[in-house]
Amino acid sequence: MVDVPVSCRSREYPLFKEKDVKILVTAKRVEDPESKIKVKPDGSDIVREGLKYKINPFDEIGVEEGLRLVAKHGGEVVVVSIGGKEVQEQLRHALAMGAQRAVWVNHTGALDQMGVAGLLQKVVEKEKPDLVVLGKQSIDDDQNQVGQYLAEYLGWGQATFASKVESLESEQEKSKTPALQVGADGKTVQVVREVDNGLATLECQLPAVVTTDLRLNLPRYASLPGIMKAKSKPIEELTPEKLGVDVTPKVQVVKLASPPERKAGIKVPDVATLVDKLRNEAKVV
Amino acid sequence: MSTGINTYKTDLREIFFTLFEQFGFDQVVGQEPFEAWGPEEAKAVLQEGYRFSKEVLGPLNATGDREGCRLENGQVFTPKGFKEAWQKLYEQGFKSVSVSPEHGGQGGPMMMQVLLEEMLSGANSAFNMYPGLAFGAAELLAECGTAEQKKLYVERMLNGTWGGTMCLTEPHAGSDVGASKTVAKKNADGTYSIRGTKIFISGGDHDMAGNVIHLVLARIDGATPGTKGLSLFIVPKLRVGADGSSSGSNDVSVGSIEHKMGINGSATCVLNFGENDGCLGELVGGVEHAGMSQMFRMMNGARIAVGIQGLALASAAYFNALDYAKDRKQGAHFTKFKDPTAPRVSIIEHPDVRRMLLDLKAHVEGIRALLVKLAMHTDKARMMAGKDDEQAAYHRGQVELLTPLVKAYSSDQAFRLCAQAIQVYGGAGYCQDYPVEQYTRDSKIFSIYEGTNHIQAMDLVGRKMGQAGGAHFQQFMADVGGFVETHREHPVYGEAVRQLAAAQEGIMSSAMAVLGWSQDAAKVPLIPLSANRFLQMMSELAVGWLLLDAAVIAEKAAEKVSESSPDKAFYEGKKWSALWFARNVLPNVEQAARMMALEDSSPVEIPVEAFGGN
Ligand SMILES: Cc1cc2nc3c(=O)[nH]c(=O)nc-3n(C[C@H](O)[C@H](O)[C@H](O)COP(=O)(O)OP(=O)(O)OC[C@H]3O[C@@H](n4cnc5c(N)ncnc54)[C@H](O)[C@@H]3O)c2cc1C
Ligand SMILES: Cc1cc2nc3c(=O)[nH]c(=O)nc-3n(C[C@H](O)[C@H](O)[C@H](O)COP(=O)(O)OP(=O)(O)OC[C@H]3O[C@@H](n4cnc5c(N)ncnc54)[C@H](O)[C@@H]3O)c2cc1C
Repeated sequence: MVDVPVSCRSREYPLFKEKDVKILVTAKRVEDPESKIKVKPDGSDIVREGLKYKINPFDEIGVEEGLRLVAKHGGEVVVVSIGGKEVQEQLRHALAMGAQRAVWVNHTGALDQMGVAGLLQKVVEKEKPDLVVLGKQSIDDDQNQVGQYLAEYLGWGQATFASKVESLESEQEKSKTPALQVGADGKTVQVVREVDNGLATLECQLPAVVTTDLRLNLPRYASLPGIMKAKSKPIEELTPEKLGVDVTPKVQVVKLASPPERKAGIKVPDVATLVDKLRNEAKVV
Repeated sequence: MSTGINTYKTDLREIFFTLFEQFGFDQVVGQEPFEAWGPEEAKAVLQEGYRFSKEVLGPLNATGDREGCRLENGQVFTPKGFKEAWQKLYEQGFKSVSVSPEHGGQGGPMMMQVLLEEMLSGANSAFNMYPGLAFGAAELLAECGTAEQKKLYVERMLNGTWGGTMCLTEPHAGSDVGASKTVAKKNADGTYSIRGTKIFISGGDHDMAGNVIHLVLARIDGATPGTKGLSLFIVPKLRVGADGSSSGSNDVSVGSIEHKMGINGSATCVLNFGENDGCLGELVGGVEHAGMSQMFRMMNGARIAVGIQGLALASAAYFNALDYAKDRKQGAHFTKFKDPTAPRVSIIEHPDVRRMLLDLKAHVEGIRALLVKLAMHTDKARMMAGKDDEQAAYHRGQVELLTPLVKAYSSDQAFRLCAQAIQVYGGAGYCQDYPVEQYTRDSKIFSIYEGTNHIQAMDLVGRKMGQAGGAHFQQFMADVGGFVETHREHPVYGEAVRQLAAAQEGIMSSAMAVLGWSQDAAKVPLIPLSANRFLQMMSELAVGWLLLDAAVIAEKAAEKVSESSPDKAFYEGKKWSALWFARNVLPNVEQAARMMALEDSSPVEIPVEAFGGN
């Protein structure tokens, strides 16, 4: 395990309040992995009818982490989602988990990662959070780009793939202790990141952008009182026009195709044959 | 939390169809007394409830069954993981969906609550017994308790601080509750000293909550024999202070726990009250000799809850068997059965396996519809109360009539359907590697407790049919008749609807026969002999009707979805459930009516000696 404290680039930014932390978390609407995804015959899109949707699981982890930080330090969690009015469902889910309010950027139509980051940048400038938490990627396109773009656009430090040292069965997890550590002066955040050969700990100046990995926490269930309260929590509606962002995509989706079907495997009689095949047929050893 | 694996599965699409498309949830919510609720909230509750069921309760189902409960030094210990699950359940507030805000709940409609309960029970019916009984006991106190009792007990029993039980059964008082020998002596301070033994008490003790509040039926010294002389007492395991603190024994001890066929994670206890003359109880509501009618408040809810348990396991068994049947390859297709080189197919390709699966599907969906209909009537009765007395009375009447059907039909079918799911699996289903053998064992108790299914049948025939001068029954029949009239010539379902009409006629003639028997002393024994059969006929009529109703709704809805949508197949499934039931079950109703007309009384004519045995 490596343990390298690194200081990220920092930039002055007025803090929301001395101790309270204000956290902006994204809540993207994605296809539920339990639905069967089919590509349209012409490859222009997937078949959307009858699909189930949910909040991107990485974003849900972000909401959870935000709620834990706010429980510890005070402050508020604001969730943001971009899309048609159906994304309000995901915002309500985050509100039911406990987020205080929501921002909905009403936009239908194509959007690339730069467009998303551009819109988020404007929302951030408006909301002035101490911390922006995003999923490291969304499970629909698995792009892993928006957090990085956003940090760049804002000129903020970033810590991607936030994880933690303790296991998801640990006491810390059971007691819902936040994994992200905000410094006593409220000016820094320590983030444990998952890297190839273990975990690395970063310290970032606030404000900063953090993206979540799967092992950061186990998100809570929306409680019943939470679900009922969510109904009366405010959702502010914005649009790309209001935010002054041109979202014309620079990346265009040309065609979608299903991955080729996996061929059936074969059974080999013994280890020797396996090694032989790996060496001489697959040429991997 | 545990190493167990979840096997619970349901289909939210089907659940949403029943709630929103068939029974019009939207027309119930958004107005008094459900003004805080809308479809989005209901969906969120059910989605989160499903996730909770799969992730928290499901993994403890098989482990809880194998481990069972332990009694050590007078204390019951539940299986590993139950305690954490209890805490989580109450943290989420899942037990207070329909509880009034006055007691810390969300005041939600029962239509939604029953579906949430289905998921909780389906994932782990043994576990769900504990919070279920605490809930029932709390509801009873919320209705019948004094102001102090409400304040002291209700919220704590609804938020998991304390557990709760219902204590009716005694060694010599099972179905015959009135034979109870437990006694209560009034003390100078107004409390009562309780003495007696109760058996088979679910959740009679456990380690998940700080105290267990027993509701105990007992006879005050000198009261009349039978049920009329019974009073109901609040008897905590530990003495309770006015501030809600629990301390010190109240002389309630666990004699033993049963070793059972199923629901092994649920502790079934022998409870001894007052062995050392130190057991104090307070009278529920401060009224004497009202125990039975008070207990009935809880029992109606509990009977519906048992119906939910049956549905829950039958549904879980269906979805498991369905997955297995798609996966398991065995034998060649029927058309090629003589060709040993023909490719092996999934067993879902075999006609007989499909027959079993469709029978499961149709029954599960139809029973769910019956349950949600019952719940809808409960909600509407509440909505109409004080606004439209006639409508309120109609809805309440349907609740009365349908409760024994839901309890008995769902539980009888659950055992049969779970066993049928084993049959789908073949040998694998008989083994503990798959969940269906446990579902089958767990489901058997449903036809026994909360009043055996014969008691339910007698409740239907002896009480509910004649209630309000027969109005509930007549209104039900009029509702079915209205459907028949509208759809008799339906291009797709006409024939099935006419089959429904034939079943209805059969029931009408059987009902007339029962009425006749009741006025002829020689024929009175035919009533208990036919009661179970009649309850089944009524239930099948109701289920057949609701399946056809669903199919008609689905057919219209299907017109609006494109060929490629998964909804197309979903709606198509509704059609086949209805047609299967109409063609393969409804004819049994006619046949059963014919059997009733034979007035066979051989079971009472055969002398006991002629049964054989020694
Ligand atoms: C696992 C489990 C959990 C339970 N939980 C609770 C609980 O929490 N609280 C509680 O109070 N009880 C509980 N019970 C008891 C349960 O309600 C009784 O078992 C049930 O009421 C039947 O009573 P019995 O077992 O004494 O059977 P009996 O009453 O002896 O019945 C035996 C058979 O005779 C039939 N029969 C009995 N009387 C008549 C009659 N008059 N006419 C026609 N047929 C009749 C019955 O239908 C049945 O088929 C539980 C039982 C079990 C097994
Ligand atoms: C406790 C136990 C003891 C046993 N003892 C013995 C023993 O002593 N000796 C021994 O040899 N075996 C034994 N068996 C195996 C037993 O005979 C098989 O389980 C049984 O033949 C069913 O086969 P299966 O379990 O593979 O189910 P499958 O054949 O996979 O059947 C699954 C389902 O598909 C249906 N099905 C399968 N093929 C067709 C078809 N072509 N057309 C229509 N439907 C089909 C079946 O009816 C069943 O509903 C035992 C099994 C158990 C559980």
